[in-house]
Amino acid sequence: MSPERSPTVLADPTVITFPLGLCGFPEIQRYELNAWGGDGSPYRLMRALEQGGPEFVVVDPALFFEDYEVELDDPDADLIGIAHSEDALVLVIVTLGDPIEDSTANLLGPVVVNTVGGRAVQAVQVSPTLTSRARLFAHRGPLATVGG
Amino acid sequence: MLVLTRRANQSIMIGNDVVVTVLEVKGDQVRIGIKAPRSVTVHREEVYAELARENRAAATTPSAAALERLRELTPREPAG
Repeated sequence: MSPERSPTVLADPTVITFPLGLCGFPEIQRYELNAWGGDGSPYRLMRALEQGGPEFVVVDPALFFEDYEVELDDPDADLIGIAHSEDALVLVIVTLGDPIEDSTANLLGPVVVNTVGGRAVQAVQVSPTLTSRARLFAHRGPLATVGG
Repeated sequence: MLVLTRRANQSIMIGNDVVVTVLEVKGDQVRIGIKAPRSVTVHREEVYAELARENRAAATTPSAAALERLRELTPREPAG
């Protein structure tokens, strides 16, 4: 499945449901996706509906990673009820760096949203070349620090 | 934790429909086969742990200044 080339039109905000939660946050299932950053911004905020829950910056990976493709395995496809790949919205979670130039995207665990019905999954990828910390702004020199 | 000793080509069953088979033991490596229904997700534990760690690192409420800088750096068109 290729990431959408143009942002899929979603109501704003949209509530999405992760039946299994996100890795590390299995108990938190409902998030609100909000446009973030003004006109033309590719970023969205994904905020847990639960009070005090986590909040993430997510982005369309196609803007940054030309060849990135997401594979959705059968259990994940069943879980979110994807019938047609064009119903899938692929987003990657951004870890903001300090400085911002060091920000990374999690290509190992993209978020796949079924735009029909709003069920979503963090779809763990098996490709050995994908990393959870891919630089968004790769041309700006090496990471100052590598965490993890 | 339940601890079982198995040889190559022997299996254990988890519930009624998950079968874990030891395929080969070679030095300090073990090849394992897993037969499970479509609805069961199987991952290497370290991958799940890495994603959990990265999700925790990413969980943040970004500042307006961070957003502004992010927008400055972001390409307007798809990569390539």
